Amino acid sequence: MSSRNPERKQRLVGQDSHLSRIFLLLLFVVSAQGVTPNPEACLVSSSVNGSSISCQPPAQIPHSLPADTIFLAVEFFNLTQLPADFLQGVPNLQELHLSSNRLEDLSPKFLLPVPQLKVLDLTRNSLTRLPPGLFRISAALCTLVLKGNQLKFLEASWLHGLKALRHLDLSENNLHSLPPGLLENFPDLLTLDLSNNYLQTLPPDLLRGPLNLERLHLEGNRLRVLGEGLLAPQPKLRYLFLNDNRLASVAAGAFRGLQKLDMLDLSNNLLTTVPTGLWTSLGKAARNLKDGFDISSNPWICDQNLADLYRWLVANKDKMFFRNHTRCSGPEALKGQRLLAVAESH
Amino acid sequence: MADAEAGKKIFIQKCAQCHTVEKGGKHKTGPNLWGLFGRKTGQAPGFSYTEANKNKGIIWGEQTLMEYLENPKKYIPGTKMIFAGLKKKSEREDLIEYLKQATSS
Repeated sequence: MSSRNPERKQRLVGQDSHLSRIFLLLLFVVSAQGVTPNPEACLVSSSVNGSSISCQPPAQIPHSLPADTIFLAVEFFNLTQLPADFLQGVPNLQELHLSSNRLEDLSPKFLLPVPQLKVLDLTRNSLTRLPPGLFRISAALCTLVLKGNQLKFLEASWLHGLKALRHLDLSENNLHSLPPGLLENFPDLLTLDLSNNYLQTLPPDLLRGPLNLERLHLEGNRLRVLGEGLLAPQPKLRYLFLNDNRLASVAAGAFRGLQKLDMLDLSNNLLTTVPTGLWTSLGKAARNLKDGFDISSNPWICDQNLADLYRWLVANKDKMFFRNHTRCSGPEALKGQRLLAVAESH
Repeated sequence: MADAEAGKKIFIQKCAQCHTVEKGGKHKTGPNLWGLFGRKTGQAPGFSYTEANKNKGIIWGEQTLMEYLENPKKYIPGTKMIFAGLKKKSEREDLIEYLKQATSS
């Protein structure tokens, strides 16, 4: 038995620490030599930075973890609760992956032992709420993923303490509304994912707080209106996904100042027309949206009111997604025509 | 039939936050994907992979990507990639078609 990394320290907490040490060293050797891992054991690997432990059924969740653990994944179990003191003894933990369990509740103290945590993945659990003070000492947390839980509402106070937050994923929950001031304490937020919820309206101050939001995901909700002020606090926004909503109305100044936009997705909504000035407010008409735009699957009424849009389309047509799915629903004479063709012949 | 245009949109929406595809593109949270097809797992130069990814030992191609992208954490237990997967077969096909084109010359 050889140790590949003489600097790796391994101190275990718990009664059977000697046996655990041998067990873990054995696992380390097995994985380090590239032998097919035993599915009944957690995957263990080690580097100069610390140990990484990854457990899925049929492996058992370990009772104790190496003190230098920096990465821990416990996924696909049917856990409804985490064991008390689950993270005791791993003060250097940086990443915690708990996806695809059935967690219903989290103890308010569960993250207290891990102040260095950078990533917390809680995708696909059964959380309906978060306990107050959960992130009290989580000033290092950059990425929080709550995708696929059962959150019906949110309280801004649940997220207190997340000073360094960069990526917040609240997609695939049951959110019908959002509280005011949700993001006001997240100056470094880069990505906000609220996709696939049931949001009908958004608080007008939703985007106040972050200084450099890059990506905003609102696809798959029930939004009917895009208001004037929503995007105003984020002129450097680069990716905006509004597809698969019920948008029938977009305010003329909704995109004012978005000069860095690389992708705009308005597909699969209820847009029949757009106000004059909407597109010209998207920075220079000649500026390339680097990645493109999609306005397909809307019931466009191809009349004079779209003159603005036609000009913009022709100038940006090589960045247009799904040209064949972007068609006129009216007037009768133009029903079924490709919008781009109508724009080019205008 | 796989639609690379649809695949490109899926990539921008669900992958581009962490990955680039173009030759010489930078590593982000995840590796640049140029040269992916025909390459063994965990081999993009200059990216710090998990042991789990490096040791998976398969070659990336249509079949392996179809399986992987449905449930990445099942295919590579121990991966640090946070992505629940694409359930719809057609979406995976579209994305793979796009990747085929975008990650090679």
